[in-house]
Amino acid sequence: MINRVIIHGYRIFRAFEFCPNPGTNIVVGDNDSGKSTLLEAIALALSGRVNGRWAQDALDPYWFNAHHVGEFFAALKAGSAPSPPEVMIEVYFSPDAVGLHDLRGIHNSRRDDVPGISMRITPAKEYQQEITEYFANPDCPDILPTEWFEVDWRAFSDERLTRRPKGLGIAHIDSRTIRSSAGVDYHTREILSSFIEPGERAAIAVAHRAARHAISTDTLAPVNERIAEHGKALHDQPIGLHMDQSAGASWETSVVPQVADVPFAMAGQGQQAAIKVVLAMDRASTTTSFALIEEPENHLSHTSLTKLVARIETLAGDRQVFLTTHSSFVLNRLGLDKLVLISGGRCASFNDLPADTVSYFKRLSGYDSMRLVLARKAVLVEGPSDEMIFERAFRDRHNGRRPMELGVDVISMAGVSLKRGLQLCAALGRQAAAIRDNDGQDPAHWTTPLQPWLQDGVRQVFIGDNAAGKTLEPQFVAVNDETALRSLLNIPDDEGTTEWMGKHKTEWALTFNESSFEATYPPYLIDAVTFVS
Amino acid sequence: MNRAVLAVAGSRKTQSIVDACSDTSDNPRRLVLTYTIAAQRNVEARLARACSAQLPDVSGWYSFLLHHWIRPYLPLLFPGRRLTGLNFTKQTGVDYATGPARYLDGDSRAYKRYLSKLAFDVAAASNGAVIDRLEHIYDEIHIDEAQDLTGYDLEVLEKLFASRIDIRLVGDVRQSTFNTNPQDLKNRKYRDLKMLDWFASHQTTGVLDVEQSNRTWRSNQLVATFSDTIFPKDCDFPPTESLQTRTTTHDGVFIVPTKHIDAYIEAFAPLCLRHSSATRTPDTTQSLNFGVAKGLTCDRVLIFPTGSIADFLNKGKMLTGKSACGLYVAVTRAIHSVAFVIDGYRGGTLATWSPA
Repeated sequence: MINRVIIHGYRIFRAFEFCPNPGTNIVVGDNDSGKSTLLEAIALALSGRVNGRWAQDALDPYWFNAHHVGEFFAALKAGSAPSPPEVMIEVYFSPDAVGLHDLRGIHNSRRDDVPGISMRITPAKEYQQEITEYFANPDCPDILPTEWFEVDWRAFSDERLTRRPKGLGIAHIDSRTIRSSAGVDYHTREILSSFIEPGERAAIAVAHRAARHAISTDTLAPVNERIAEHGKALHDQPIGLHMDQSAGASWETSVVPQVADVPFAMAGQGQQAAIKVVLAMDRASTTTSFALIEEPENHLSHTSLTKLVARIETLAGDRQVFLTTHSSFVLNRLGLDKLVLISGGRCASFNDLPADTVSYFKRLSGYDSMRLVLARKAVLVEGPSDEMIFERAFRDRHNGRRPMELGVDVISMAGVSLKRGLQLCAALGRQAAAIRDNDGQDPAHWTTPLQPWLQDGVRQVFIGDNAAGKTLEPQFVAVNDETALRSLLNIPDDEGTTEWMGKHKTEWALTFNESSFEATYPPYLIDAVTFVS
Repeated sequence: MNRAVLAVAGSRKTQSIVDACSDTSDNPRRLVLTYTIAAQRNVEARLARACSAQLPDVSGWYSFLLHHWIRPYLPLLFPGRRLTGLNFTKQTGVDYATGPARYLDGDSRAYKRYLSKLAFDVAAASNGAVIDRLEHIYDEIHIDEAQDLTGYDLEVLEKLFASRIDIRLVGDVRQSTFNTNPQDLKNRKYRDLKMLDWFASHQTTGVLDVEQSNRTWRSNQLVATFSDTIFPKDCDFPPTESLQTRTTTHDGVFIVPTKHIDAYIEAFAPLCLRHSSATRTPDTTQSLNFGVAKGLTCDRVLIFPTGSIADFLNKGKMLTGKSACGLYVAVTRAIHSVAFVIDGYRGGTLATWSPA
């Protein structure tokens, strides 16, 4: 099991360190936060390859962190002699890993005596001269000459690796790039070919050759005779048509998986994704100890996704799974405790969530926890009317700018208890304001049980004073011109203001939210707006 | 329990390793160590045929030390140093150097002559990690030609004896033609035939179970009995017992005068053997050195003797240490016959061959 990953200078990661869970890891983050890059880096260190190509062949200048490259060229132009940017990826295995101790030693940046693999990309010693001359040229472009860089792939024992070590089987499932020219993408091909025993492989190759030969000698024979008759005039050597028997025509490109009599590439994208996951994981975990799954929710309806996630859960077994997702459903279902949050190339610290909260969200898997996870600042409100009023109050304070524009996400709890929401925010270290009605109780009645997850200036609960009414409506009416409000909302004369508003919560909130009514807000709402501003 | 089998040439020592490795019932992780590259290829091929499931790792002694002892933990002994390879050259002045310069050249390649000492020191600096790491990788380590280990190699072996790994040695002190560390002064008292004392002392302390065998499946009794005479009586080797039952018209030990060499080769196609390239042989013959022939089996051998071997045959003057071992290896390659190229033979016990 991987228990630590350190990445320096690779793409978005300047200095990244991450200690994965032994089982499933759900990597979550905004677009461009480095989720896929993390999976790519792990696959690179474990297999020495990126998308089927050896690191040395696939290497390009954009592998290097843009900040590092920028700093390097700035220093170079300023006349100093900085050392060129380097890439380092280290994957540490837990010391109790069976069968990996050949990879053990102290050759890693932490000097830990554990099994592991490191990959470093540095200027090659034998090209020292060329590199020095390249950088000495005042006109040199701000691009690293990666042709002169070398990939040094080693175990922590300092032994150079030339192929993927035994016991480090990985299955990489990327449902984003589902179609490829060969009908099946590289990762799927890898997974499929590992089902075929070497003996069977040879047998298939021989049969394939024989079949091609038969086409050449039998089916194409009359064609060739005809060409021969006419061909003499064209060329002095005989010309004919034959099936290609060169290396490029190997059986591997013509043997494709089929799903219920439909070629894999012609199957629906959702089905393809589901099949890939099952193919990759429905095997002994000795052949694949690690599964890397990218955005399994792509192309899947909610029903299919539910099935797929259930499969991932059961098939995960002894494997270590790294999965990226944008779906709250996947996150809730696989367990919020397995969350790995990445933003801006860093791994956010994440404290333990109580087990009952994890299973609470598993059951309420429709809840949009992803928004809570990704928000910079969160405002937790009880329902849609509270959401609209808060949003309007926020706009009034910020010259019409919406909370989202300023990094504040207003999230309706929609029945999820405030306690669970705050627990999650606390675990994430998220700044959050929670707003709720007093429902006729003293505010302390509500805040006291929430104390463990509250912190002044970070997470606070905002509740209206009991004297000004039980819910938002009386609180709102109390600080505004009731006549003007009644006319705005078109309240029939025979209805009381708060009663009508109470019965038409969403309606009045929406009308008000979209109006230009100049309102005053109850003090607890104003405090909440101030808190997140 | 660690075990050593000391047995005469042709007693199927290497085969016993192959047999042991073909039993994969409880899936043990095994390493087989040999000394020469030729032996390594030989064992690998035989293992591939014998083992259906889990093929053991096969490695040379030096690469075992480099790969498992030195490389993973070298910086713990010499901070900042990383092993880049092995330096086979005989570096002068190294003996007087102190610190890393004694063990590593300027490119951080380890000197062969101090390799096992370096391995031993790195293991000490690693605080047990070297052995703990090996214990996680292997359940059994088999060592072929164990008699060739000397000096600090023996200290390395003792560390292995004390580990959880089962150590299985096979060897024959009569075949000590190599020293892995010729210049190593450590354990000098156990050199060559004296290594028997080393085995005996470890048997006494209970870390090693030593088993001796004097039965050969290769040489016939005539050749086997002759091979016994190469060592002085006070070595106390039990007489070799031959289990070889095949006979030919030319069995035993013979003398061949120089003028009949071509005729003899024509008649019997023997394997020609010499002590080293310094031994004079006719330009027309192809000869192997004694040391290289180790592990081989052939029907007949023709030996070009050194001066001291000639003295042994003519005057009965006993050979010393390494020379005796070399001759023993040469003689025991043969199944049926051994011939020595000697003119004017004066020993009297061996028949002189001449063409019919």
